[in-house]
Parts: sequence; structure tokens; C-alpha cells
Amino acid sequence: MKLNIIQSCLLLVLGFMVASCEYDNFEEPKSTLTGRIVYEGEPLGVRNQGVQLELWQHGYDLFQKIPVYVSQDGTFSAKLFDGDYKLTLIRGNGPWMDQTDSLDIALNGSQEINVEVDPYFTLNEPSYEIVNDTIVRASFTVNQINAASTLEFTDVYMGRTSLTDIVRNEGLGRFFDGQVTPGTPATVDVTVPNHLRGRSDLFVRVGVKTLGVEELLYSQVDNVSIN
Amino acid sequence: MKLSKLTITLAVVAGLLMSSCESDWLDREPPNILLDDQVWNDAGSITGVLSNFYDRLPAHTSLQAGWVDFAAYDEATWSGYTGNDYLNNLLTYDYGRWGLWDYNLIRDINLSIDKLNTFSSLPEDQRTQFISELRFIRAFVYFEHVKRMGGVPIITEELIYDFSGDPTYLQYPRNTEQEVYDFVISEMEAIMPTLGNGESISRANRFVALAVVSRAALYAGSIAKYNNLMPSPISLPGGEVGIPASAADGYFTKSLEASRTILQEGGYALYNNNPDLGENFYEAIVSKSSNTEVIWVQDYLASADKRHWFTYDNVARSAREDNLASSALTPILNLVEDYEYLDGSSGELRTRTADGSDYIYYDNVEDIFANKDARLYGTIIYPGAPFRGQEIFMQAGVMEWNGSGYDMIEFADQQPDLGSVYTDGGILKSEAGPHRSLQDVSNTGFYLRKYVDDTPGSSTRGNLSEVWWVRFRLGEIYLNAAEAAFELGESGEALGYVNTLRERAGFGANSLSSVTLAQIRHERRVELAFEDHVVWDYKRWRVAHLKWSGSTDNPESMAYSLYPYRVIRPGDPRDGKYVFVKEVVPRFRAPRFFRLGNYYSRIGQNIIDANPKIVRNPFH
Repeated sequence: MKLNIIQSCLLLVLGFMVASCEYDNFEEPKSTLTGRIVYEGEPLGVRNQGVQLELWQHGYDLFQKIPVYVSQDGTFSAKLFDGDYKLTLIRGNGPWMDQTDSLDIALNGSQEINVEVDPYFTLNEPSYEIVNDTIVRASFTVNQINAASTLEFTDVYMGRTSLTDIVRNEGLGRFFDGQVTPGTPATVDVTVPNHLRGRSDLFVRVGVKTLGVEELLYSQVDNVSIN
Repeated sequence: MKLSKLTITLAVVAGLLMSSCESDWLDREPPNILLDDQVWNDAGSITGVLSNFYDRLPAHTSLQAGWVDFAAYDEATWSGYTGNDYLNNLLTYDYGRWGLWDYNLIRDINLSIDKLNTFSSLPEDQRTQFISELRFIRAFVYFEHVKRMGGVPIITEELIYDFSGDPTYLQYPRNTEQEVYDFVISEMEAIMPTLGNGESISRANRFVALAVVSRAALYAGSIAKYNNLMPSPISLPGGEVGIPASAADGYFTKSLEASRTILQEGGYALYNNNPDLGENFYEAIVSKSSNTEVIWVQDYLASADKRHWFTYDNVARSAREDNLASSALTPILNLVEDYEYLDGSSGELRTRTADGSDYIYYDNVEDIFANKDARLYGTIIYPGAPFRGQEIFMQAGVMEWNGSGYDMIEFADQQPDLGSVYTDGGILKSEAGPHRSLQDVSNTGFYLRKYVDDTPGSSTRGNLSEVWWVRFRLGEIYLNAAEAAFELGESGEALGYVNTLRERAGFGANSLSSVTLAQIRHERRVELAFEDHVVWDYKRWRVAHLKWSGSTDNPESMAYSLYPYRVIRPGDPRDGKYVFVKEVVPRFRAPRFFRLGNYYSRIGQNIIDANPKIVRNPFH
């Protein structure tokens, strides 16, 4: 063997390159897991970026959760490799009862699932009416699902964008116990703040706060046109 | 291979020769590493080890690390380098934000205690003193852990792996939050008799240990009380977070007794060396000469090249001595208005007439701040206040009368904006700003004074600053005592402590005739601003999620600014006077948002992977 030093170095580098090509190039995940958070088949509205689900996959050295954020209409989606996953709800994270059982998901190609939860309250989809161009009149019913929970308040939010919730809004009306009672149809008036006047449309949404629970339950965002 | 026989023979001979020269060639002492029995038998080296540990003590916001986060709470916003504007725009606080899991430091301390016990032949009392000091540091580190994470495993000895392939015997579950607080307090009590260190303020002595008890027991007491007053208390089934309500009074009593001992026996006194009360409050924190108030500091010394950049980064714009940085942390109006007027009225600044129809006109830009709590001057540079003997004059623009209303003019035609002159020959925008968009100039209308060094040259990159970081001072002990006393129903005693502090701030003797919990908390805010208290106070009172609710409707979640303008109205008595406009800080975009899951920080998944006995904190 008569290889000079340069040649052997080159050969070595080439060898590493070839080897690393094979190891580094993973295929990207191709399967999609989509789903909805539902109660009795109806999707629940939540705060965008507020509620997180976790996916766990056993069998690997490093055990890391895959966080999946639920968007405000109650849907979520994740790009994943095929395999067996466990989907869990984080304790105290959503406007529903804690659920310690995880959901087994055998992913093989794309799949759609419904995650059934037990909310503290639900909301009948509200209807809105504009009075005198300045008042949003919302009619809805808050339903008590969990008898032990207390309704803290009900909010009507107004915003310029469809991302409207307790954190992102341009104006709100807050109604405490007595003004909105679970089980009784309620009609509430909210005055449109000055800086939202003169617009042709408004995004409106109702949120229900359970005492001691961080996240609210929301209706779907409605685009209400004015005039 | 072409080695001649001769070469081989020579090598062998040389080898033989050398080994015979020095028989213990392989057993020599290393010339560059200190061995255990050298370190642990020499008081100087042990002090060096201690010094390393003191320097590694965790702090969330201090002069050396993490101070940019002062801008993430309701004391200041960020006006420095625009790349750090995320501090003004945190949509939420991350669950891992206050996370700490420094078992490296705890292991190092445990190891040091072991070594002192096994290797050291120092006199018994000297060894006991070093061990006491190490136990002090360890307990303090555990306090830093428990206030962030809740209960953590209490490890007090070196854990050694036996290479059997089964590490489970090294995996300890979390102790309860209550156990960790009890550990901190009992360790402090155990070491007090042997801690020594006399009147040192940079090393722990008996009163520093008492000060830690004063603070830690107060935290534990308020968690016990206020967590259980929440609609649904934050807890874990194993007690890893949450303390039973019944324990509250015991902790408050411990805290109060520790505070009383410091006040009565410590020989400390509130700093009162300067008749100018505002300067006096500033000096109470930064002055290193005959400062009777500080109990424990992290000291800096230029001659030992231990200096920090805090002043370079935060000095007021027009007082800066270097060509970059300055003005990073700028206090907000929310804090400024919390400083009351000396007549006891609310601190809200009067910018508009009572009916809101017109501005209130001031002759000088600083007049609006007249007769305020002296701690305002000592903490914050407001428009017109002096720093390093020079007035920090602030003017955002002019208000020119157009016959029916004011035109607000802020931007100059010529560049730069700062120091520009308006067409009438007067100042348009002053050298110190405020400015809506430029970096390194106040965005809020205020600059920071507390901890900013007034020594000439200290804001240059060549010199830097040697102002110390105060970990504990007597002012806090007064407030701890007041709060604990009040929680125990001793409101008379609490009132005395609060009045003493207020008297130093310029209020008359016995300025309050009765005190409420809200007033005590308010005193903490104005006295201890920028001393790494606000987050921990809000957390232990369980009010952080209400103060920082993430809603633009909640004034406490928002940050406000105050911009002064010069009035141009020729021929009118109001010409040349100053008016003020309050608004949301221009560079502040996202309201502060603290979630219930922020009360305890996230424990990393890598930690749980390595030790499955660790349970996760609530909401994570």
C-alpha cells in the first residue's frame, strides 16, 4: 500500500461524508393528525394558543412531549411520523374537568379524531343584533354541565380581528351572577367603544369563566356586520 | 518502520536511566492542581471555595445577571437596544421562566462539607464555622429553589453511583413545599450559634441567617394563607406544592421573631447620613461608606477587576459618558404614581384640571413631582431631576396653540431629533428625550436611579461600576416585620414599623394613624422597587394572575409613560410653561400576562426522564 497522506485524508473525508449523508437525511413526517375538542359531538371554543394537548410516544430514550395547541374553534392538527401515540390533556389547562386517562392513537396515514371532554359549562351559540349602530345585543344560554362548578362571569368581547378572546380584544362587557344565570336564556347589551365605531363589521364572541379555572369557554367567533 | 537498532537501544537506556533517577516519577504531586488535603487544610483556600459559591447564588434579577427582566414586570419597560424589545412584548410568561434546578451547586456544597469532615485537620471550631457557612449557602439555595419550583428533593450528602446499572437508589422524589421551607428555616436556626463572621456584610453572619428566616418564613406563611384562599388552591396530591392553611400563623410568628431579633440586637440602623432625603434613599442602597443599613450584599471591587455593566447600560441618556448603550431600563408611570405626596394623598400626577377640560400648566418641568415621597427621587430620575450634579431635562416636544387647540409637534425636520431646536428658537426635544422610537433613550419619560452609579466614569466601558447588589437590607426587614405582625393581628406593631420607614422618606412622624394590609404591600412596592421583590411578592400573595391578567383593560397589566411638552402660546400667560400627557408606553405592545401555571415553574422533561419519581407541577 502506497497512499500518500493527502490521498488517505481525502479518502477519509469522503468516507465521513458518505456516512453522514445516510444518517442525517431523515424523511419529514408525512402523516397528519387532526381533531377537535368536542362535548356531545359539538366542538368547544377556546382561547387561541391557550389550551395545549400533549402527545407522547413511548419506546425512545429521550421522552419528550409533542405539544399540540388547540386553535380557537376547538380544532388542532399535527404533522407526525406513523406510530403509536398517547394523547393527554393537561390537568387544569382547559375549561373542562380533569381527565387522567390518555387516548391511544395508532397513527398510520392521516387520521381525524374527536377528543371528548366534560366541560364545566357550555354555551348555546349566541345570536347578535346591532341596536342603533352602537350596541351589540347578544342572546345566548349558558348551560351548567358540572353541578359543582360556579359561574364567575360571562363576557362579550369585541375585536377588530377574528383572534378575539379575554387577552386580545378591543372592548368587552362583563356580566356577573344574576345578570347571566346558567340554564336561563340571557340577553345582554354591550356598548361599542368609541374607537370601534364607524366600522362596517365587528368580531364578537362570548366567553364563560368558571370560578377557579384559568381558561374560559368561548362561543365561536362571529363576524357581525354593522349597518 | 525504519528504526535502527541503535535508536532502540538508546531509547531503552534512556528510559531505564530516567526511571532510576526518580523512583516515584508517576507519583509526583501535580504542580498546577491543588489536592484535597491542601485545599481543606488551608483557611485561605476554603475561603476561596466559599467565595465561588457566594458568587454562584441564584438570583432572578440582579446587577450581574437577569437584570434585563426588570423590564418584564410592572416597574420598568425596555428602552435600550431594540433587539430586546421582546421584553415589552411578552405575550405570556413562559412556564419555565423562573425555573431553577441547580443540583450542581448543591452537590459542590455537599462535597465540600464531606471533605471538610474527612480531610481537614483544622481546629474544630474553625471547621465548624466553615461547615456552618456552607450549610447557610446550601439552605439559601434551597430557598431559591422552593420559591420557584415548590418542593424539590432535599439532598444533603454526596450521592455516589455504584455502577451496578441500576440508578434507582439515587432517585429521590420531591419533598413537599412545606418540608423545604422547614428545612431552610431549621438549617438557619441550627447554624446561627456557630456561623461567626462578625459584622461582615458580604459573608453570612447570624443576622444574615435571621434575615433569610425573616423572608423565607414570610413567604411560606403567605403561601399557606393565600393559596388556600384561591377559588381552587394550587396543589399537588403529594403536597409538592401548596402548604396547609393551618401552618400560616406558625410561619408568620417565626418570621416576626427573626425580624424583631435583627431590629433589636443587630445594631443596624436605617441609613440617615444625608439631609437631602431623596439623595439619602439613593445612598442607602449604593453607598459603601458607613452604610449601617445593608445586611448582606454581593460586592464588587474595581481593584480586583470585579465590576459590572449595569451603569453603562442604564445611565440616563444625557448623562452617558460612552457612545453606546444607556437608558435600557426605564421606570414606568405606574410605579411613579405609586409614590404618594407627602401630605398623604394618592400619588397620581395631576396633569389635567379637575373637570378634565384643560392641561395643568407647570412653570418648570420638575414642579409636577414636588412634595412627593423622597423614595421617588432616590429610585427614579424624573424630568428635571439632577444626576451627577447635572439636570436631566426631559421634553418630548412642543404644544403650539393654533387658535382653537394645540398642535403637538415632536419630530424635528433636521436630524438628530434629540437636542433639536424648534422654529421659535426654543428646545423642541431635549437631549434626554423622551422619544417614541429611538433606542437608548427613555421611552417612558423616566430613567432609573437606583443602582445606577453616580461615580464619574462608571458608565464608560473602560471603568464600569462597582456598586454592590443588596441581597438584604434593614428596610426590607422592617417591611417583613410589619407584614408578619399585621397577619398575626398585631396591627399596632405593624404601624410602628411602617411609620419608621415613611419618616425616612420625608413623611412626618407617625404619618399614618392606622395601617391596612394594602398599605403594607404598597410600602413594599415603593421601598423595594428594583430589588428583585415584585415577582416573588405577587406570587406568594397569589395576586400575580390578577395584576397581570393579559388584558388591555387592566391598567396594572399595562405600562404607562409621561411625556412633557413646552407650550407655545405667545402673548398668553401660559406661554413657555409645561404640560404633561399620559399614555401607554409607545414601545410597549403586549399586556403582562401571568397564568396560573406560572406560580410554579416547569420542571424540565430531561429531569423527569432521569428521575421518574419527580412529579410535574400543576398545569404543565
